This record gives sequence, structure tokens and C-alpha cells, in this order.
Amino acid sequence: MIKIQDLSKTFKSGEHDVRAVNQISCEIPDGVFCAIVGKSGSGKSTLLSLLGALDRPSNGSIEVDGTNIAKLSDTKLIKYRRDSIGFVFQNYNLIPNLTALENVMLPLEFKGIAVSQRKIRAEKLLEQVGITGIKQERKPGKLSGGEQQRVSIARALANKPKFILADEPTGNLDSNTGKIIIELLKKLAKTANTTVIAVTHDESIAKNAQMTFTLKDGKLVKN
Amino acid sequence: MEIFRNMWRRKFRTFLTIFGIVIGIFAFTVMGSMALKLNKMIDGGKKYVTGQITISPKGSSGYGAATGTLPIDTLNKISKIDGVDQVGALVSLPVEEPNLDNPSINMGEPPSIYGADNKSDFKNKNWETMAMKSGQMPDKNSADNEIAIGINIATDKKLGVNDTYKIRGRDFKVVGIVEKTMTGPDSYVFMAINPAREMLIESNPFMKSLYASGKLKLEDVNSMAGVTWKDGADSQKVSATIKDQFGKDVTVMSPVKMGELIDKASATMNAIILGSALLALIVGLFSIVNTMVMSISERTKEIGIKKAIGASPSLIAVEYTLEAGIIGLVGGAIGMGLGVLAADIINNKMASKGAEIFLIQPNFLILVIMFSFVVGIIAGVIPAIRASKLNVVDAVREL
Repeated sequence: MIKIQDLSKTFKSGEHDVRAVNQISCEIPDGVFCAIVGKSGSGKSTLLSLLGALDRPSNGSIEVDGTNIAKLSDTKLIKYRRDSIGFVFQNYNLIPNLTALENVMLPLEFKGIAVSQRKIRAEKLLEQVGITGIKQERKPGKLSGGEQQRVSIARALANKPKFILADEPTGNLDSNTGKIIIELLKKLAKTANTTVIAVTHDESIAKNAQMTFTLKDGKLVKN
Repeated sequence: MEIFRNMWRRKFRTFLTIFGIVIGIFAFTVMGSMALKLNKMIDGGKKYVTGQITISPKGSSGYGAATGTLPIDTLNKISKIDGVDQVGALVSLPVEEPNLDNPSINMGEPPSIYGADNKSDFKNKNWETMAMKSGQMPDKNSADNEIAIGINIATDKKLGVNDTYKIRGRDFKVVGIVEKTMTGPDSYVFMAINPAREMLIESNPFMKSLYASGKLKLEDVNSMAGVTWKDGADSQKVSATIKDQFGKDVTVMSPVKMGELIDKASATMNAIILGSALLALIVGLFSIVNTMVMSISERTKEIGIKKAIGASPSLIAVEYTLEAGIIGLVGGAIGMGLGVLAADIINNKMASKGAEIFLIQPNFLILVIMFSFVVGIIAGVIPAIRASKLNVVDAVREL
């Protein structure tokens, strides 16, 4: 369960303060595929940074299974991010000179898992997302957009995270491939009991979600 | 493996950076080997000059370049001075007569005859028995025509034990070849004093006529002499006494003063040689710094992604520091290899002239490799720390 209480983030822009996230409160249960919809400038990226423990809020709390991640020390935050969160980016953001398999193995390496174990888990995850055989040995440059996003999802699942944050996961994909990716995320939310929070401007994703929120001018409204 | 792949991503830039280190380490290896050779020669020479008080005829240029001689009478009187232990007469002259029709310039020690009284008990206080490659040094029981030769002469003239070596028209039998010392003795001919005296007389028409007329005795023909002091005696005091009593006839070189002079000259030479090598190395170091800064700038997003998926700042710092260290190591290994090759080739060419310039020591080479790795690490540490502190959100730039 993710519990967000009065969450705010303010940035300085010249002489003015900009409230990118404005006193957001909501609860997201485990294993749910959730969509946060908003137009450009609505505060989606800021909210994602806060949920992903990449940035600290100005006010409020984010409780994940009872722990307020906003109050964690830098060291604990790194550990939390490594063990509890998986990221899926719009531009896939795979490491270009590593193979698909090595990209998925990377978070496991950061966790200190033995090499042999890493390989087995990474192969399994890639199979789960439909990347098999020789494709696992290819570098991102030799994979299609859809394939890269699948690898990105497998990487996000590597350390069995509590939740996956997907930032415009279908933004760079054609509609058919986009649908496949959304179905994959939905399926994984169910089978792995991982909460998937997709932040997007794409209404079609929202239609597939079990919970939908709309973000406008930093304020969150449940649909 | 990822580090090597990262280096391979920008092949030309990696090549240029490594090339910079190669140049620096090549210079360091070559100059360092030159300094080692110089130091070894100086050490050998220092041991010799600090192990005896050296007496030479007044007006001579010092060691071995005799323009006068030391009469045996004078040496006998010196031996009776309080504190003096032994006096050993020596004759030194070039193996080959100077050929003014075909002059040559020697880079190192020219082959020299070193005639000593094998029957005397004189021994330099720092004397160490010379290691022999084959045979033995001439001793009390050796005939006057028996000689030992340094390794450079043996190689140049293709001589072995029992071979005949013609020196200044006289035949000598080689009874020993001295093991390589990388110092002066590599180009010496060690013989009994009398044949050396005779050849010195032959080489000097004035001495020749005096000898022929009986006005010059053979035993009075000495280029220089070594004087040792009794245990417990002060070599400076003994030198001063010899100078006081015989200063009109002889030049006295005190071991302490000579040692200090040599140390000063050696320190200056080492500073010049190594200073120039370090300069070349610093250029290489900045080359790595530049490459790492550019590399991190290009890989900012990648660093952000790694941090987002769980890499700690220290892990990022270690990765980039290691990458810089490996660049240093690879450049160092290549530079060192080329340096050793160049030094070896030059040494082989110069060996026959007794003018080897470089001393290649495994310990030094290991130090060079370690040093190049450390230089890489030092060059990479600040860019690596900067990389580790990158803000994830800014680095990834999508969030």
C-alpha cells in the first residue's frame, strides 16, 4: 500500500516559487495497475520523481508499507530505490553498450547478487516479457522500440520491486506495440503482485487501468 | 569487461589518451633506466673513491690521466705517515694508442689498462671481490703477461679465457673475464703493474729516453696510488697530513670530499633526468583527466539511469576511477614495453664501445607499471567523484 499525504514540491523559478505538486493525497493498494493522467506541465514528472525517491518533497509524506520514504537518509534511500522501485522510461534508457541480458542483470549486480544467480534470473525475466534466444545477447541498438521497452520492463522487475513507475511507457511506440506493452504491464501487476503506476498523457492507457487519477496544476483528482 | 567496452566506444579518443600516457611512461622508463645506470656507475665509482685516499702526481688531471709519475720513494714515505695502513701503486693508460689520423669520440668509459701490484697487500677499504664470468683475476702467482678483461672488451674483441690479446704490440694471455658490472671495470684490462709501467713508458717519448738512459726507474712509473687508513683513524686527518707533507709533489683526493662532490653531481643529474620524465608524465595525466571529464559529460544520462536503478554514488565513483586507472595501466604497459625495447636496442649497439647507457631492472619496471596505474587513478578520481554526485533527475532529464 502506498499512502501519499499532503505531498507538495516547490521549485524556485527566478524570484517566484512554483508549486509543481500541490498537496496531493491518495492511497494506492498493492498489485494494482494505476494510471496518473495529465497534460504537459501538470506536474507528472515531479510526482514521479517524488514517488521514485529521486527527489525529496517540500512537504508531506509518502508511506510505503508504513515507512515514510521522504524521511529516509541518503544511504537508506539508495537501498530503498534499488530494492523497492522499478523504473520504466519513455525512452527505455537502456545502457547502450550492454546486451539486453546484461541490462537486466545490472540492478541485480547493484544488489550484490552472485553472477550465476543474476544470469538465471535475468534470462527468466526476459523470457517472461517475450525476449528469448539470440535477442537476449543483442545490444539495444539492434532491438526494436517495443523490444527495448520489454527489456526495460524486465530490468524494472529484476529486484522484485514493490512498485513500478512507468513514465510515458508507450510514448515512443506505435499504437499496436503500445497496446502490447500496456497488456504486459497489466499482466505483471497481477502475476507479480507489483503495483504499476503509469504516468501518461495517453487516455487509452487510463482506460486499461484499474485506478485512474488526473493531475492538473499540481493537484490530483481520483477518477 | 564493461570498462573495456566503455573505452572501446570512443576508440579514437581512447587511443589518443593512451598514446599520451605511452609517451609519458616511455620517457619515464627510458630516463629512469638512464638514471639507474648512472647511479650504479656513480655508486661503483663512489665506493672506489671513498674507500681510499687517492694520490696522483701534481699537475695531473686526477684519476688515471697521468702527465707525471709518482716515485716509489714518495709512496714509501707516505706509507710511514701516522694513520696510514697501506699504499698501493697503480698504473692506468688507454688500451689503444690515440690515433689522431682517425679520432673517435667515446660515449662511455674508454677501454683502459689497470695495472696493480698484485704482490702487495693493498686493498681498497670498500673492495669487493669481483665476480668472474670465467677464469680468475691475476694474483700474486700470475705471470706478468696474464690478464683479466672486462665483459665489454671480451665481447668487442671476441675473447675468451686462454685467448691471446695483443695490446700495444704485446701479447697477453686472458686468464679471466669479469662478470658484467655496468660500471667502469666492464672496459678494463687488469694486469700486473710492471707490464703496464713498460707500456706507459713506451707511450711517452720523454719517459722512454729517461728510462733508456737509466735516469728513470721502472718502479717510479706510477700514474696514481691508493692509500688506506688504519681502523679507527680519521681519513680526513690522514689526507690533510699527506697534503701538508707532500702537497708540493702530489694531489690528494680525500674520500669524504670526493663522496660529497659525487653526491652533489649525482643529485643534480638525477633531478634533471627524472624531472624531464615527470614533466612528460604530467602531460599524460592531464590527457586522462580531459578524457574522463569528456567521457562523464557524454555519459551523464547513463550515470543517472544507473543511479535510478540502484547504483550507489560510491559504485559510480569506483567505476570511473577504475576506468581511468586502466587507461593509465594500458598506456603504461605499452610505454614501458617500448621504453625497454628502445633501451635494449641502444644498449646492444653501445655495448662493444663500453657505453651502455641504460640499466633495465625488473623492480623499476614493476614500479613503472604500478605508477602508471596510480597516475590513472589520480587523474580519474575527481571526475569520478563529480560523476557520483550527479543529480539523478537532472542526469536522466526525462523526469
